[in-house]
Amino acid sequence: MASFFSVFVFFIYSMLMFHPEIENGYLGKVPIGGMVFAEMILVLFSWFFIFYSMKAFLESRAKEFAILLHLGMEKRQLSKLIFLETIIIGSLSIACGILFGYAFTKFFFMIVREILMLEELPLYFQWEPFVLTIAVYFSAFVIISIVSVNFSPERKIIDLLRWYQYPNVNGRFSKKKAVLSIILLVVAYILSLLTNRVNFYPFVVLLPLLITIGTYLFFTDTVQWVVELIKSRKNFYWKKSRMLSIAEQTFILKNNGRMYFVVTMVSAAAFLCIGLLAALSSYTSQYDKLNPLGLIYKGHVDNPYEKEHISSIVNELEEKGLSYHLTRFEVKKQTSSYTNYEVEVFRESDINSLLFSYGYPMVQLDSGEGMFIPYSEESIKKLSKRTVHTVLKENNVPITIDEVYPKLIFPSSIVSPNSIIISDEDFVQLKKPYSGYPDVEPGYHLFAFDIPQWLEAQDVGVPIYQQVQKEYEKNRYQLPFYFENAGLNYSYVLSMYSLFTLVGLLVAAVFLLAAGSFIYFKIHTNLDAEKRKFDVLKRMGIADSEIKRLVTNQLFPQFFLPWGVAMVHSLFAFLALQNLLKDIANISIVKEIVFAFSFLILIQVIYFYLIRWRFIAHVKN
Amino acid sequence: MPILQVIDVTKVYEGKVTHRALNQLSFEVEKGEFLAVMGPSGSGKTTLLNIISTIDKPTSGEIIFNGTKPHLFNKTELAYFRRRELGFIFQDFNLLPMLTVEENIVLPLTLDNQPVSLMKKRVKELTEKLGLSSVLNKRPDELSGGQAQRVAIARALIHEPAIILADEPTGNLDSHNSREVLELLSKINKERNATIIMVTHDPIAASFCDRVLFIKDGEYFNEIYRDERRQTFFQRILNVLSLLGGRVGDLSSIRLP
Repeated sequence: MASFFSVFVFFIYSMLMFHPEIENGYLGKVPIGGMVFAEMILVLFSWFFIFYSMKAFLESRAKEFAILLHLGMEKRQLSKLIFLETIIIGSLSIACGILFGYAFTKFFFMIVREILMLEELPLYFQWEPFVLTIAVYFSAFVIISIVSVNFSPERKIIDLLRWYQYPNVNGRFSKKKAVLSIILLVVAYILSLLTNRVNFYPFVVLLPLLITIGTYLFFTDTVQWVVELIKSRKNFYWKKSRMLSIAEQTFILKNNGRMYFVVTMVSAAAFLCIGLLAALSSYTSQYDKLNPLGLIYKGHVDNPYEKEHISSIVNELEEKGLSYHLTRFEVKKQTSSYTNYEVEVFRESDINSLLFSYGYPMVQLDSGEGMFIPYSEESIKKLSKRTVHTVLKENNVPITIDEVYPKLIFPSSIVSPNSIIISDEDFVQLKKPYSGYPDVEPGYHLFAFDIPQWLEAQDVGVPIYQQVQKEYEKNRYQLPFYFENAGLNYSYVLSMYSLFTLVGLLVAAVFLLAAGSFIYFKIHTNLDAEKRKFDVLKRMGIADSEIKRLVTNQLFPQFFLPWGVAMVHSLFAFLALQNLLKDIANISIVKEIVFAFSFLILIQVIYFYLIRWRFIAHVKN
Repeated sequence: MPILQVIDVTKVYEGKVTHRALNQLSFEVEKGEFLAVMGPSGSGKTTLLNIISTIDKPTSGEIIFNGTKPHLFNKTELAYFRRRELGFIFQDFNLLPMLTVEENIVLPLTLDNQPVSLMKKRVKELTEKLGLSSVLNKRPDELSGGQAQRVAIARALIHEPAIILADEPTGNLDSHNSREVLELLSKINKERNATIIMVTHDPIAASFCDRVLFIKDGEYFNEIYRDERRQTFFQRILNVLSLLGGRVGDLSSIRLP
């Protein structure tokens, strides 16, 4: 079943990857690279996954094999039997996976089309995805079956025949390691809270290392230490079914510490994927607010191309029949006496013309008054508390700035953090140019196109945009103009986002599924022994409600301990990420993360109850 | 007043082939009696034990236990009944591997939510009597068969049940350990006036009892009482067994699991 599912996902995905439409173009090279990467992760993981499920499957049938060996079957014959069985199961799941995969491909394509906003994505038939899927999985099954037979530890038949394999329960743990793990984790968490742009790179290396070691020790030592502490309090420990479940935990933890470690790390990775997706989606949804303008053209005062470019943009817009509102700004640089740095000065009537087309409230300034232009959402709050008395040095114009415009007017890439609006009367007085002139530009012209249907303007000014892009790739930006097309940028962001969605969702789904299945397999392997145990308990007199409680107590830590730890890990990872994003992009991901996490918790709870239900049904009859 | 009355109990297993495991079986057990139930394989011994221990219900007939009728209880009441009134000893011990010896012994009391002081007191008494004091902190897999069965006996005794049900308690033990366990059971029977019902294949084991009840194909066949000497009692048991007509293999004292 598990292998069927992974074949299924893999096939659909490779269908998409080999899709002719995607191959020649729209998305370009990067997405294909990303998809190949995702596919590789998928393959690696599904190999590991099949291997593990195979092992669990063989383990649960150990008794059957023991009987066969008892009847005089050779080891070689047994290997052959297992090999054949695996191949049959493998071929079946490959066939089913591809069959169902093909059936659902159209559906998947429809979703992808919606996400990517493509025209259409027809179903097609080509041999590559089929061959790829079959080749990858068939080789996986063959290799895994050989490996799992030949490298499985030799055990005595007598041990296999016994109902309960007495496992090694004398697991040792050291208090030192237990404490060390707590210290490591706490240090890692604190560091992650301190992450910022400066120390980002060393932290990216250091933190996962700390977390990994810490988590490993946590499961091998700390948990056992804690359980041991609980056990030593007999009044608490020897109470009702508590004793059974706690003893059971020691036992499970001692034997499966490593598996829990893997599950934890895998789920943490999955959570991170999902959280990142949520963050990205928040970025795209906030894009509109961060970039209120459709097109922006910014040029030096003596920009020779100005007329040519502006008229070509206007022509293009008119050809497309898009309505727009053009505002021309003349921005002057001056030196502020308050900071001794340059400020960019905007004229009240220019701003008002743009605000009018936005439908935002107008600005009313008297002579000598000034207003800050916010460069980010954050800055609105910060600047609103500030009052600055300054003199624009070159022309000796005194200004008092004690307000900030309450909304973002320009995207942060256009305006400098020191931008102010002053009244028309004061602006006229600014006759002497910036003191740095002619070495530094004394100001610039800004053409702001407010286009209500800005998404449709993404093809406007592409040649200019390409020039700008080319110049960006050089070390020094020397063009006398700069151009930004929000629609075009948005389409890039969107395609990046959709790529991450495709890759991330897939990886996260596989990870989550795998993490859940590891636990399920573990439980499944021990099911017979568990049944036996509950039989004994039932004879001793244990009520149904108590069985339920016992099962809950037994399963709960198995499920939620690794997941809980993973949750905490990724929570701190997100706190670090939020710190970073605050520095870079001014977006808040709290809401999305909370939403994603509660969704994940919901899935886990459902999964838990599902397994509990199966488990109880199994031990009861 | 007998502690247990089995009246006309019939058990029919419905299935593709209807199988009548017990047929109108009646007997009584007095308080403080040590009863052995013998019979060839498939004679319904295990079914009988399951019905007495209330995990199976008779098709017809009834069981009266100390004046109450357990099969009228609901599931939860039954569970409480079992945990307070019955003690179990199994052929393969069925100690829980993840618990230590001590924890295995106190298990019935913890299930019943008794105070820790009481548990400690009882464990001390019992382990001294059964010679288990030195192994209290070991795991079941570190014990010998005889020790494991003694732990199981301690577990069956700790809550001072009205009846102890033993299913082939010596089936997995060598002769030395068997003897030890059986002597222990009869000692408990005398000292504590405990009622024990033991199902067994082994005539030697049966010869330690006060009375042996023979069943065949689910029906009452015969019963004999103990006399002064165990040897003669053993001989009489063998006589009845040969009368039972079971083949030799059925009566072998060593049974494969």
